[in-house]
This record gives sequence, C-alpha cells and structure tokens, in this order.
Amino acid sequence: MQRLKAGEVNLGTSIMAVQFDKGVVIGADSRTTTGSYIANRVTDKLTQVHDRVYCCRSGSAADTQAVADIVHYYLQMYTQQSGIPPPVHSAATLFQKLCYENKDSLSAGIIVAGWDKEAGPSVYNIPLGGGLFRQPWAIGGSGSTYVYGYCDATYKEGWGEAETVEFVKNTLSLAMSRDGSSGGVIRMAVITEEGVQRLFVPGNELPRFWEGKEVIGVDQEKQSQPQAQQMEVEV
Amino acid sequence: MATPNVYRGTGFDFSNHNRNEFLSNKGFPVPKAQSTGTTIVGCLFKGGVVLGADTRATAGPIVADKNCEKIHYLTESIRCCGAGTAADTEFTTALISSNLELHALSTGRKPHVVTAMTMLKQMLFRYQGHVGAALVLGGIDATGPHLFTIHPHGSTDKLPYVTMGSGSLAAMGVFESGWKADMERQDAVDIVCKAIEAGIFNDLGSGSNVDVCVITPEGTDMMRNYRKPNERVQKERNYKFRPGTTAWKKETIRKLVVEETVTYISGNAGTTAAEGGDAMDTS
Amino acid sequence: MSDLMAHPYHQYHPQQPQQRQFNPYTENGGTILAIAGADFSVIAGDTRQSEGYSIQTRYAPKVFKLTDKAVLAVNGFAADGNMFVKKVKQRLEWYRHAHSKDMPLRAIARMIQTMLYAQRFFPYYVYNILGGIEEDGTGAVYSFDPVGSYEREACRAAGAASALVQPFLDNQIYFKNQTPALGSAHPTHLPLRHVVELVIDSFTGATERHIEVGDSLEMYIVLARGRSLQGLEGLKDVRELSTPGSNGERLFVLRKPLKRD
Repeated sequence: MQRLKAGEVNLGTSIMAVQFDKGVVIGADSRTTTGSYIANRVTDKLTQVHDRVYCCRSGSAADTQAVADIVHYYLQMYTQQSGIPPPVHSAATLFQKLCYENKDSLSAGIIVAGWDKEAGPSVYNIPLGGGLFRQPWAIGGSGSTYVYGYCDATYKEGWGEAETVEFVKNTLSLAMSRDGSSGGVIRMAVITEEGVQRLFVPGNELPRFWEGKEVIGVDQEKQSQPQAQQMEVEV
Repeated sequence: MATPNVYRGTGFDFSNHNRNEFLSNKGFPVPKAQSTGTTIVGCLFKGGVVLGADTRATAGPIVADKNCEKIHYLTESIRCCGAGTAADTEFTTALISSNLELHALSTGRKPHVVTAMTMLKQMLFRYQGHVGAALVLGGIDATGPHLFTIHPHGSTDKLPYVTMGSGSLAAMGVFESGWKADMERQDAVDIVCKAIEAGIFNDLGSGSNVDVCVITPEGTDMMRNYRKPNERVQKERNYKFRPGTTAWKKETIRKLVVEETVTYISGNAGTTAAEGGDAMDTS
Repeated sequence: MSDLMAHPYHQYHPQQPQQRQFNPYTENGGTILAIAGADFSVIAGDTRQSEGYSIQTRYAPKVFKLTDKAVLAVNGFAADGNMFVKKVKQRLEWYRHAHSKDMPLRAIARMIQTMLYAQRFFPYYVYNILGGIEEDGTGAVYSFDPVGSYEREACRAAGAASALVQPFLDNQIYFKNQTPALGSAHPTHLPLRHVVELVIDSFTGATERHIEVGDSLEMYIVLARGRSLQGLEGLKDVRELSTPGSNGERLFVLRKPLKRD
C-alpha cells in the first residue's frame, strides 16, 4: 500500500497524549514538510473537535484535516440533537469509522483525547489501518519510534498535571531531536473538566538532554529547565 | 435509429478517459498542460493583507506567457494567487468565486475568508490532488485580515507570511530574514515585491513582472505590473518580409463585391411598392 | 548534480520489482550557435548554467579559444564539456610541440570526431560546435553530435533552445521559405555586421522564450588573415584577444548582458 501520494504535504510528526487523574495532556511538534522542505514550522497539530475533545494529527495533512473537519461537524450535530456534550469514546469511534472504511485512500494516524462525564479522562489511539485502542498514554507519528523505550521506562500511573506536562514535554523534545521530520516548537493542551489550557514551548527553550559534552558544556547540569508558558489562543 | 446522447452532466467530463488511456499505452505522449512554475506570496500587515505574484507561465522549459495574471478575483475583498496547472488554478478560483457570490446573495452578508478557504480545500480534497492548484488565499472580512495557503491535496495552513510555487524557497528566504509583525502598508508591499523578485531572478520557473494586490478595510488595490524589472530590449534588426516572400502554388483572384439586379414584380421602380409602406432603399 | 533516483517521487508497489539506477549525467541548459562567413566566423553562447529550476552560476563560459584561428563551443552536461575542452586543448598543445605550428581547423575537427567516438559506449553528453578559419582563409563551422558524427556547415545552433534558434537561422542564413524577388538571388554569404546582429537577436529571442537561456552572451569573432575590421566598427563591448596589428588571424570577443529572469 502506498502511504503518501506524490507531492503530498506530510505531518512527519511527533504526537502524544497522556491520561492523568483529572484530565489528559496532549502535545505535538509543529513541523509540516513537503519532501525536505518545511512548509510550516509553527503548525498546530492539536485540533479541537469539541469543547473537551481534541485530536492529535499525523500522516497526510490533507487527509487528517478533512477527517477532523468531518468529525467536528458530526459532533456539533450530536450536541444539537442530544443536548449533551459527546463522550470521548463517541468522537474516537467516529474517527475510527472514517479511518477504517477509507483505509485505502487515507494516510492518517490519529490520537483522540479528552474528558467526559462518564469516563473522565481518556486517550484513544487510531493507528494507520483504522483500529481503535484505549490506552493510558499514546504516542504517534514518525518521531514516536525513537521514544517508545523512554515512555515505557518513565511513565507511572497516578501522576498529577504538572508531572504529566513535564513527561509530554520531555518525550516530545527527545523525539524531535532524533527525528528529522519533527521539530520546531512544542504545542500542548491540558484538558480537564474545568476547561482547556493551551501551552507552548518555543524552539529555543526545549528541554535538553545528552547532546555530547562538546555541545552542552560541562555546566549543563546546573541549567534550570524552562517552564511551559501560556499560549495565545485565537478565538 | 440511434440518436447521439445530448445530455451533459455538471462537473468534469470523463468520456475521453478510456480512449486516452489506450493511446498512452500505445506510447502516444500525453499533452502537457501549461503550468505556472511560479512564485506567489502573501503577507499580513497592520490592518490588511498583501498578495504578490510573478507573471511567467511555462510549458516545460518554454515560456508560454510572458505577462499572465496569477492573482485571481474571488470577491471584492478576497483574492487568491494560483500556482501549479494554469487551467486548474483559473477554473477552481472562477468556480469558488461564483459560489461565493451566490453565497453572499443568499445570506445577505459579505463572505468570510475562511468560507472561501473551506470551499477551496473541500473541492481540492475531493479531487485527491488531481486538480493541481496550489493557492495563496488572502482577504478581509468582518473578523479582520486573513491569509492561508492551500495545497493541491486540500491541506491548509494559516500563517502571517506565506509563499508557494517553484520560487517559494527563494521568496521564503526574503520573508524569513526581513518580515516583522504589524508592518506599515508600504513596508509590506516592499517586502512582498522583494520576495517575488527573489523568485523571478533565482527560480527559472518564475520571471517577467511583479503583480501586487493590497487588501484593506478601505478597499482592494490591484496593482498589475507593479514592477517591470525585465523589459524587452530593442532587437538589432527588423524582420519585415517583402510582399511575395512566401511561395505559392496557385493564384486566384476573387471579386468580393456582389452585384445584384433587382426585378420589380409589381409597381414601378422608384414609386411606392406596396400600400402603407415606403419603398425599400436599395442604394 | 547526479541523482540516485530516476524520478523524484517513486511510486511504491510491493508486488512489482523496483528499478534503481545511478545516473551520472545532468543537463545544464544554455544554448550555443556558430555562423560562418566568407572570411570570418562567429561562435557564440550564453553564460547561464542551470540544473532543474535553479541557476548554478550566471557566468560559466561555454565558448573557448583553442588556437589563434579555432574556437570551440560546448553545450550539454557542463562537467563533461569542461573535461572535453581540457583534453582537446591538451592534444593541441602536444601537436604544437611535435610540429611547431597550430593544428589546422579541419584537422581539429577530425580529432574531435575520434575523441568523441572513443567514448562511444560512455559518451561525453555534449554537443560541440567548432568555428574558425580554414587554411584557405575561408570561415568555417563544424558541428558534432555527442558520439562524433560531424559535418561542415554555414551555421548551426545547439543546446536547450536549439529548436527555437535553428529554424530562425535556416530562415535568415539559408533563406529557407523565402522566395527571392524576381530577377534577384539570395546572397551565399552575409556580411559580418549582419551576422553579429542575427546572433544577438537569436540570443535575446531565446532568452525571452526559453527559461534556461539568459544572464549574458559571449560571442567570439575570428577574422581571416589580412581581413579588414569592417563590420566591427561602432560595436560596443568588443575586445581583441589576438595581438593588435598582427598579420595572422584576428580574434575578438563581444560580451553583452541578457535578461536575468
């Protein structure tokens, strides 16, 4: 199966979503490429499909935008007709149906995450073929292959918001440093019952890990890790 | 008796598809479409948006049009630069322009730039990249100035400065080094012009003149051929051919003035021919 | 310069075998042309070198002085062209050492043929046009294909815009598709000034309609022994390469800017 069409815009991506006690933290890099050219270095791959439901997009930019737009439309219809916000599972199932039934013409790897009254926080992974898997944490995109080991070794159940944000930030920074198709800035969102908080880490303030003594210098340990800052959100 | 089918559906006509596939399997080359191997750019500034384009159209390595127009009209306050297959950019923008006009008429409001963007991306996505239009969309609506790029497969980006086409890398170099937030109108026009010129001189697919379009709440200023850095030089010789230069095999001279003899069936020539009517003027 | 893949976007079909091949050749654009007069020869080329849609340099000479009376224009794959000119010059120097004189034009032409054909199965990807003055004092142009087939002609255009320039030359030099006025005939040789103007117009025209042609024009003019400078007077940007006032053949170069878009 050919995954990407000739000349297509690619989200050769690092995306991530992690559940914690009160909500979910989702994050993504910001790089969009056509071949070796960076078509957008500040992309927002975290797309809101409802008040408390987001998706992280990887694969073809056109395909994932189209699928997210359709799901966004269905969820609006759902709320109008039933009068209640949709469960995350319903949103994830819609994504799954679209991805599975059109698997031959789509290249989309999507992580759906959010909060709802029934299940609380939840994360669903929808990989390339159109499967649907609920997971406590999920990573995706080309950069994710570099950090499965890190996630397995680091993730613990029962974290709070601050620890989870640090985990997402560190994981994405590691993935972005190894994967040439990922990079730029880190965009994140914390989705809880109270609302959605968007976070932003500029490219020159990413968490740094081992890069070789020549690059880092000896005093690296003393450097304080920068905090994530509030992102400006367009209404 | 079999009658020819005169029904024509809307949209594309695929009736030649099988024949053409047969022909190309036989080794018959597919005709190449004219493309606008192009530099197109857009840039937001304080209170408005500037679009820019070069004016060269190519068919392979040959310059097909030295002064074509690549900034297309969508509505009075929304314009769209097109790169890629020339016919695709012209027809998609014309179709969306028509639909936006109908939309404006039925809603009684001015269309939003996102509406134009959504219509374009949904059409391009439906054709899965076969409609080869790469677009820079810019305009002003009730919510302010907006700027988008739309790729042939239907993906969109919203950015403060954008470039597309074969000269996009040269043009992006200018923006990445010189762009500032909230520029004045003239500064924005200058950087757009500089970006297009970078494409014209460094990308072989782009050339000739610079078109610039400034859209503000006060109105749209389409500056066709804002810069002409590649004027034709005077030729050294005159290539006028003496009458009779072209060889001929046969000469016939036809008289084009037709002479008619009018015979009056009733009445006399020069008098009233019929009752209640005047004589026909045959002069 | 060289590309490891035949096509930029390779379609992947798991069932079908994939073919990959190293391609050592590229096409670097540009155009060359030469016209022979009765007692002079004009050899010209643009100086743009490109690959794909990018300009590698705006000044890469394609026309080279070989001897006092021979000029070679090379067009196609630039790396092969430069190497070929280098080897031709080396052979001509050996000849000078062996015979204490320059190789005659017709001999250079035959030598180029053998040098090209020696590479019959791994050819130099270049079109050569040799211009200059024969031993009998006539202007001459020899044109070659990449593997050494050659002929002497009155004019020839080669390279990216050859399909645009050659028909123009056929019409203006050979007077193809032009019937002479009753009781007159077309000239067999055109005067130098006329030829220079045709060459300039060929290149300004090719620059307008071919994306790989432009930046600047470099034109070499070789005059036969004892010929006057008639036709060069009033021409701007002309420089003499031979010793002024020498009684041998005289060589001039004319450089002119072309459009850079």
